[in-house]
Amino acid sequence: MRKKVIATLLSVAMTASILAGCGSSTAQPAASSAAASAAPASSAAASAAPASSAAGTAAASTAAAATTAGDKDPQKTKTIKILSIWDQDSDNGALITKLCDQYKAQVNPNFSYEYEYVSSDDLKTKIATLAASNDLPDVFAYESGKPLADYIDAKQVVNISQVLKKYNCENSLNTSAVSLLKTLSGTDDIYDLPLGLNVEGFWYNKADFQKAGISAPPTTWDEFEADCQKLKSAGIQPIAAGGSDKWGVTRLINAYLVRTAGTDAMKNAYDGKAKYTDAVYVKAAQKIQSWADKGWFGKGVNTVDMTTAGTMLMNGQAGIFYNGSWFTQNLNDATANKAGADGIGFFNVPVADASISGADSYSMNCGNILSFSSAKYDDATGWFIKYFVENMGNIAMQTQGTIKGYNYNVDSSKVTGYTKLVLDEIAKAKSAFTWYEATMDSQTSTVAQEQVQSLLTDDLTPQQYMQAIQDAHDMSAK
Amino acid sequence: MPPAGGTFFLSECQTTKSAAEKKGMVISMKKVLQNKKAILLFVLPALIIYSVIVILPIFWSLYYSFFDGTPGLKWKFTGLHNYELLLRDKNFRTALIVNLKYIAFTMIGQVGLGLLLALMFEFWLTKFKTIVRTLVFFPVVLPTVAIGTLFRKIYEIQPNYGLLNSVLSNIGLQKLVQAWIGQASTALGSLCVMDIWVAMGFYSVIFYSAILDIPGDVIEAARIDGASGISLFRYILGPLLRPIMVVSLVFSFSGTVKMFESALALTKGGPGNATRSLSMYMYQVSFTYNKVGYGSVIALFIFLLCIAGSALIQRFDVRED
Repeated sequence: MRKKVIATLLSVAMTASILAGCGSSTAQPAASSAAASAAPASSAAASAAPASSAAGTAAASTAAAATTAGDKDPQKTKTIKILSIWDQDSDNGALITKLCDQYKAQVNPNFSYEYEYVSSDDLKTKIATLAASNDLPDVFAYESGKPLADYIDAKQVVNISQVLKKYNCENSLNTSAVSLLKTLSGTDDIYDLPLGLNVEGFWYNKADFQKAGISAPPTTWDEFEADCQKLKSAGIQPIAAGGSDKWGVTRLINAYLVRTAGTDAMKNAYDGKAKYTDAVYVKAAQKIQSWADKGWFGKGVNTVDMTTAGTMLMNGQAGIFYNGSWFTQNLNDATANKAGADGIGFFNVPVADASISGADSYSMNCGNILSFSSAKYDDATGWFIKYFVENMGNIAMQTQGTIKGYNYNVDSSKVTGYTKLVLDEIAKAKSAFTWYEATMDSQTSTVAQEQVQSLLTDDLTPQQYMQAIQDAHDMSAK
Repeated sequence: MPPAGGTFFLSECQTTKSAAEKKGMVISMKKVLQNKKAILLFVLPALIIYSVIVILPIFWSLYYSFFDGTPGLKWKFTGLHNYELLLRDKNFRTALIVNLKYIAFTMIGQVGLGLLLALMFEFWLTKFKTIVRTLVFFPVVLPTVAIGTLFRKIYEIQPNYGLLNSVLSNIGLQKLVQAWIGQASTALGSLCVMDIWVAMGFYSVIFYSAILDIPGDVIEAARIDGASGISLFRYILGPLLRPIMVVSLVFSFSGTVKMFESALALTKGGPGNATRSLSMYMYQVSFTYNKVGYGSVIALFIFLLCIAGSALIQRFDVRED
């Protein structure tokens, strides 16, 4: 009898453990408004998107009154699924959640949403898998440019220009954002909504510059290299770069290339009008490799990620760091930023030949964008989009003091510090150029990023590096 | 496994049934399990699940390998084009070489060190036996990503020296301080060291239990005959442990040929392609480049590599007996 009991207990225990093991850790609770977050195994390393850390700016946040007087929202019942790379309480995630809650409270009580968070490293894979099973979420974050082009061609994403026209809200979008997105989509329409209007350039530590005897930030590449040499002589690592995240370094190649070969250089190479192995491209790679050879990136740059590099700049361990205006989130965090509210400055990419590309041309992007699944699109989604574009500008400016590419009518004259610095820089921009991988398809951009690590360690010559990109381009074009 | 069920019933019966009844039950149990239809009935559910989950995807991959693109996005029939591509693909060859180097170093390291540790447990360790064995086994249960993060900190060089570089610079070996996972020459080696550290405890436990199985008389007799140290291992322990060594090698091979998550956690496949294995390349091709067709070909190649490798290792076992 006892043996029977023991045997029964053991089989129950075994069955229970099998079932526990089968119980998937990726089950998504279908709570209508509660956060559903699938915790990613890898750390949320920054990619081409803003690093997510606690935001905090001087602007007070009062609930923005929804300017939807005259909006005849039919209040249709709708549950949308949002797939995002930002956690629900930080960065764009907080803004999206706030907007959704506001929409539900003030305009459409029959609206509800499910929020799912995935690490930016896994985003493309997840979307590819969902697209293959025709199950793209209603709203998802993605990368504009070539990555989205495949989905545009396959008609899997909604044509936003048409939606804006239909719901009469075209004026809510910032015109430079729209023109940037149109260039990236390669068509006359936009297929995504921006979540940022960012400029990129060099951030520098003012104290380090003073210590090295540099009186003013450089405006030409010769001055830039001279300044780096001065920093090195003063015992400070000249440049912090996120070699582990790769894109931080390819941005440097892009910066030099655009100044020496023009804004269309990368696009021409992709379209076949030029080759990646042409002299001017190789020279740009050569330039960055020379900096690595001179030790300006410090030892083991391939092991440093963008977050660490940013911290090194703020701690004064490095003098210069290339990043975008989203970096202000880190700069505004008093506990992380040891340099204080006035310790870090910004200068635009130095000029080589002003006739090819001048100092008022900035590297700009719209951050990661939001796209909408065309299969799940309906009238209710359209009304939501209308509310989104009309109100996101205000919410972003009030909550985080950031511009997201939408027009806003909230008073922004009270912003100070780094946010003001960025707004001033954006105001100076007369033209824009895109980042290194914007015009590349996934295979080419992956190779371009991976091999840059070998370029930095001298395992590849600049010629070989460019040849690898050319080979990947040719192979994927077939 | 017939005997277990049969003997259970037998012991149950001991208290209540008569001898004749007991014999009857054993005989009927045997008859049931020899009946072909009964066997089929017992095996069928597991066979169905196994076929659908393991066998079916293999044929599905084979089918996919004749297409190009991603199902749902740009799916085109291209016949043997993907196989041609495989033969010409330099990246594939690089990934294969990385994988083979990794398999060789890690397999020998894991099993070899496991064996050495087991011998140490048996013949050398006298005090704190349990604690040492637990500590050695501990890394096996740690999550791979945690270990990757740990070793990334150990190998760190910028902004601060990690454990390894600090130790080297403090004992005067400053010129050995380098970016262990930041350069192609040492990245794969560093990865192998990490994986050997993780799994050697596992193999040490397996070998230790095998050594415990060896009757003490055999070793006593060998010692009396004058064998010790190397010759004791070569003539007595080695041959007796051979079956378990083959099993461990097959185990280790199947683990290392699937090299993926430890490389991803430590170096993300970098720098360049220095630690990109076949599995990572397949993942990249299928999901980043959106070429599931070509990715399927690589997957099939990995599958064949597994079978070939396991068969090769098994041959060592059969031949010697």
